[in-house]
Amino acid sequence: MPYSMLVDVTKCIGCQGCQVSCKNWNDKQADKTTLGTDFGNPSTMNSNTYTVVKFDEAVAADGNHWHFTKAQCMHCKTPACAGACPSHALTKTEAGPVVYHRDRCIGCRYCMLACPFEVPTFDWHKAIPSINKCSFCADRVASGIEPACSRTCPSGALTFGNTEDVVKLAEQRLAAHPEKYVNYIYGKDEAGGTSWLYISDTEFKNLPLDESVEKAAYDRYGLSVMNKVPGFAIGAAALMAGFFFISGRKASAGKDGDK
Amino acid sequence: MKKVSRRDFLKGIGTGGALSVVGTITPGTSDNGGVKPPKSEGATRTTTICPYCGVGCGIVVDVKDGKVIGTEGDPDHPINEGALCSKGAALRQIGPDNPLRLSKVKYRAAGSDKWEEKSPEWAIAELAKRIKDTRDKSFIKQADGITVNRTEKVASIGAAALDNEEAYLISKLMRSLGITYLEHQARMCHSSTVTSLAASFGRGAMTNHWIDLKNSDVVFICGSNPAENHPISFKWITRAIDKGAKLVVADPRFTRSASKANYYVSHRPGTDIALIGGMINHCLQNNLYFEEYVKNYTNAPCIVTKDYAFEDGLFSGYDSAKRSYDGKMWDFEKDGDKVKKDMTMKNPRTVFQLMKEFYSRYTPEKVSDITGVSKPELIKLYDIFCSTGRPDKAGTILYAMGATQHTVGVQYIRAYAVIQLLLGNIGIPGGGINAMRGESNVQGSSDMGVLTNTLPGYNPAPTQKDHPTWKDYCDKEVPKTSYWSNRPKFMISMLKAWYGAKATPENDFAFDWLPKSGKGFKGQGCTMVPLMEAVKAGEMDGLMIWGANTAVSHPDAGSIVKGLGNLKYMAAFDIWETDTSVFWKGPGSDPKAIQTEVFLFPCASSIEKEGSIANSGRWIQWRYAAVPAPGEAKSDLQWLNLLGLELKKLYAAGGAFPDPIVNLVWNYGEEADPHKVAKELNGYDIATGAQLKNFTKLLDDGTTACGCWIYGGVYPGPDKKDNAMAKRGKEDPTGLGLFPNWSYAWPVNRRIIYNRCSMDPAGKPWNEAKGTIWWDETKKDWVRNDVPDFGWKDAKTEAIKPPKDSAAAPFLMNPSGLGHIFAALKLKDGPFPEHYEPLESPVKNAMGSQQVNPACALWDLKPLVGSEEFPLVGTTMRLTNHWQAGAMTRNVPWLAEIAPEMYVEMSEEFAAAKGIKGGDWVKVVSARGEVQAKAMVTSRLKAFNVGGKTVEMVAMPFHFGFNGFVTGGPDKSKSYAANQVTHRVGDANTRIPEYKAFMCNVVKA
Repeated sequence: MPYSMLVDVTKCIGCQGCQVSCKNWNDKQADKTTLGTDFGNPSTMNSNTYTVVKFDEAVAADGNHWHFTKAQCMHCKTPACAGACPSHALTKTEAGPVVYHRDRCIGCRYCMLACPFEVPTFDWHKAIPSINKCSFCADRVASGIEPACSRTCPSGALTFGNTEDVVKLAEQRLAAHPEKYVNYIYGKDEAGGTSWLYISDTEFKNLPLDESVEKAAYDRYGLSVMNKVPGFAIGAAALMAGFFFISGRKASAGKDGDK
Repeated sequence: MKKVSRRDFLKGIGTGGALSVVGTITPGTSDNGGVKPPKSEGATRTTTICPYCGVGCGIVVDVKDGKVIGTEGDPDHPINEGALCSKGAALRQIGPDNPLRLSKVKYRAAGSDKWEEKSPEWAIAELAKRIKDTRDKSFIKQADGITVNRTEKVASIGAAALDNEEAYLISKLMRSLGITYLEHQARMCHSSTVTSLAASFGRGAMTNHWIDLKNSDVVFICGSNPAENHPISFKWITRAIDKGAKLVVADPRFTRSASKANYYVSHRPGTDIALIGGMINHCLQNNLYFEEYVKNYTNAPCIVTKDYAFEDGLFSGYDSAKRSYDGKMWDFEKDGDKVKKDMTMKNPRTVFQLMKEFYSRYTPEKVSDITGVSKPELIKLYDIFCSTGRPDKAGTILYAMGATQHTVGVQYIRAYAVIQLLLGNIGIPGGGINAMRGESNVQGSSDMGVLTNTLPGYNPAPTQKDHPTWKDYCDKEVPKTSYWSNRPKFMISMLKAWYGAKATPENDFAFDWLPKSGKGFKGQGCTMVPLMEAVKAGEMDGLMIWGANTAVSHPDAGSIVKGLGNLKYMAAFDIWETDTSVFWKGPGSDPKAIQTEVFLFPCASSIEKEGSIANSGRWIQWRYAAVPAPGEAKSDLQWLNLLGLELKKLYAAGGAFPDPIVNLVWNYGEEADPHKVAKELNGYDIATGAQLKNFTKLLDDGTTACGCWIYGGVYPGPDKKDNAMAKRGKEDPTGLGLFPNWSYAWPVNRRIIYNRCSMDPAGKPWNEAKGTIWWDETKKDWVRNDVPDFGWKDAKTEAIKPPKDSAAAPFLMNPSGLGHIFAALKLKDGPFPEHYEPLESPVKNAMGSQQVNPACALWDLKPLVGSEEFPLVGTTMRLTNHWQAGAMTRNVPWLAEIAPEMYVEMSEEFAAAKGIKGGDWVKVVSARGEVQAKAMVTSRLKAFNVGGKTVEMVAMPFHFGFNGFVTGGPDKSKSYAANQVTHRVGDANTRIPEYKAFMCNVVKA
């Protein structure tokens, strides 16, 4: 206690098993998609998709490279989203997961603005929308079961455990194979430290992990700051949500009409 | 099946040993943040095995109130330890809640443009009537004075997606009807494997098993892409790498497997024999082979007769008019029955010297010119893999369709066999030639003999030419030595299981009731391609198709969609509509003009029925029903049972040669019991009805019955607790991952076959750190952590045999007892693998004047060399998120979401030259037709420098089609099946089509 997840990018084979088992566990529907220019699909997280695997190919002096990077909520130690939430709808549990409480959410989407990793998504098309993001399978973890994604990972790219053990494992791997790994653990310090940690054999700038995220905790969107936001801004946010809702309904109605 | 309590959750669903957890997870905290209990708590949990590829992963299915509420990897399963790829993880969506699942029998009348719902009784009765009518009209009792008892007007396709019990009943019923056009998916995926490995080692199966990959020192992936197509294999490959093993990959494309490799080379499709031929040459020239192994366990020291010769691409004995060889020219000198040997291997007529001379032609320069891999890259690759030619090292070769689907498919795998025998890598932990099966039960359905040329347990199916009588069969197919000398026991026991008391010594145990196949369509046999050619030509009246999607998977698929309309009737058994069963409303079809009646029977999915499947590593695992099938859907076993009962009823009133039908033992009950069928597979004593311990108890006097001899031991007792396939013991005494108490592996629970080769002649493991069996000189007995695959005790007296008795015959299924570097008398296209170009190639064959395999079946096709119209090398491939012809994944929304559309991979240079951007729709065009696809422009494909020119390649997944939740593109009137551009030319031995190398072009759509 608390728990963390290590993502060893060198071991991921891009099978997207984590993506599907996440949907399976969370009873999430599939979206209608088209194929983009690589195999990452859906291309970003959305209200039905809490995790995606991103594909990055490159050619270097030593030949081809192809990296697969799982993206999801990083479960910050000091979560900016929870800090920004005026209604305590997002909370950090002792076990590590940052969990969402739908019944407390007022739909203001401050959490979306606050998150340095741009993770939370919104049900634009639902009458009573929710914020959606990875829960770190808090329900499983609370019962002593690892998250659905690491359970399903075939190749050891995901390792779940006590933060202390996970950090140690990451450090051991870096120390054992300095010729292979970049000597850095992404997430150890980013945004004040996250429960999800990444190690890699390529510079992190080559991966879809934002290097510009500050090392300090993102508490500038904390409630103390948000409280100073003028009331009209909150009103504007609510108005925007309403517009999105209406236009979303129109869009989906149009889709139905095509059928 | 059990209820999941909270306690179970914490205990049984624990995390011990799983790779994905460090330390322990402590459940329950003072503050869990208001987190709800997991949804699976209180659910009823059933175990099953994944229905997709041949890895055989365990899955648990959680059911609440009759609904599947979740599925996930079975953490107790030793192969996957809870892991799953995206397909396995999506299993839940093939369950009854998928709205596309069929719940009613559907019937499409001749000329109709729609389905009608019908009752199961009506449909079975009507189908049986049609089958009987066709059979009675077309039945051939005798041909050229030989009793043949066959019909060539009805065909059956499929079984790889079915359970063993179902596949067995297909084999039993169809053959008893006289059907010789009896085929399934194995023909198109691994037929070349079975022929090749059997010719090399005696059995056609993967030599090792999935977990054993962790014991490798070098994993060589050549002709496969396991990271994408068998993802769970990477659990074990990764574990080998973590222990210091090297992963080397040779593939035309830089795949997800290649992205994990220590070393990667890119070679042109269709040139693997040159690549491996160069490795054999490098190994021999630099003395990198394992000499003691080669001398003792292979036929390298054997002396070849003067009749054998090789010149300019042709072996001796070639008849150009018939495009075939007289294989008798490739044999050994003998003293009586004994093959002459020179243990120094210096005699120029030894296999060793002939091989050395043969492969000396495969110089690095030549191989580089053919494959496009530079000379230094070749040498590096060769050195890495040949480093395993030592007693303490193990190297494995992993291959799949990249190797099998060529006009020289059998010889591709023969090349692997030669190098693996030279390096001493067969029979040892971490070694082997591992044919990765792509369908969950393609191994089992092959074991069950759902192929025109094999009966259950790989006994040859009788042919008019070779086996006019039982005596002829025994003369030709029962060798004096090797385990196959027991073949009469296996055959007679099978005939007793089929025809009971009517199989008597007087009637040769009803041997003549089995159909004897003729020459087949246009003299090309009865395999899948001639079968479909006969359909296209209108020579087939009826077709039964069991969980197969031929309209997408068959080469020249456009012609198949049209050709199916020449059938009088089709009966499709499937869990949903497939592109094949709706061919009459497919692209370019006019339903009114199509007179084919179509019956569509709704089937149970893998989580709605009980039965066994065999994975690639020969583990036969039991699956349980978690939920009932929707509506009137039934297991294929029930449909087969109903069809069998109906046909028996019809034939009781008379018909053409009714004997094999009315007398067919078909006692599975009104509601067929899979356990009953499984017990028949195992074998029983006829007088007492007692189940037999294993196949060593079979007799040739008609007192034992056994459906499939190699399955002897799967069900050695009368009760469900005796079902060895359902065993879930987690013990692994050696730590090498054998798991002897988990399920049952054929033969007799051996986990690594040919394991005598893991020891020196004195019975000491070459590598003591990885010994599974060895001779204990003090106890005068064998230490057996695996089941010995050699004569370790006397069959009658049970006296222990010392090592010297088995040292001369480590390959007990081969009459020679040895591993075959030189495949004497075995194959139709030569004793040594030789490189020939694919039928369609950018270049002339640099190895000689024979452009293509001189013995391959050409049909009406001609070699195409260096065409300007079709300048690109094309190949087909698979994708993690889809499976085979796509019916089982394109209808699964979670998978369709990830991979919704057809695409074609091409290099950045080619795309730039053509003005194509990633995501553009383009057309891939070949001499057969065209297919639309989105351009996937990638740095992972590169042009090859071969034959003095630069050749680009493109690659397409073959999963898409025209029917289903997603088809591959937006245009509903089009098929997105890649096989519209592939062709049907086949391997010389097995007729497997050359899907993996053809010429095409890409133009903007």
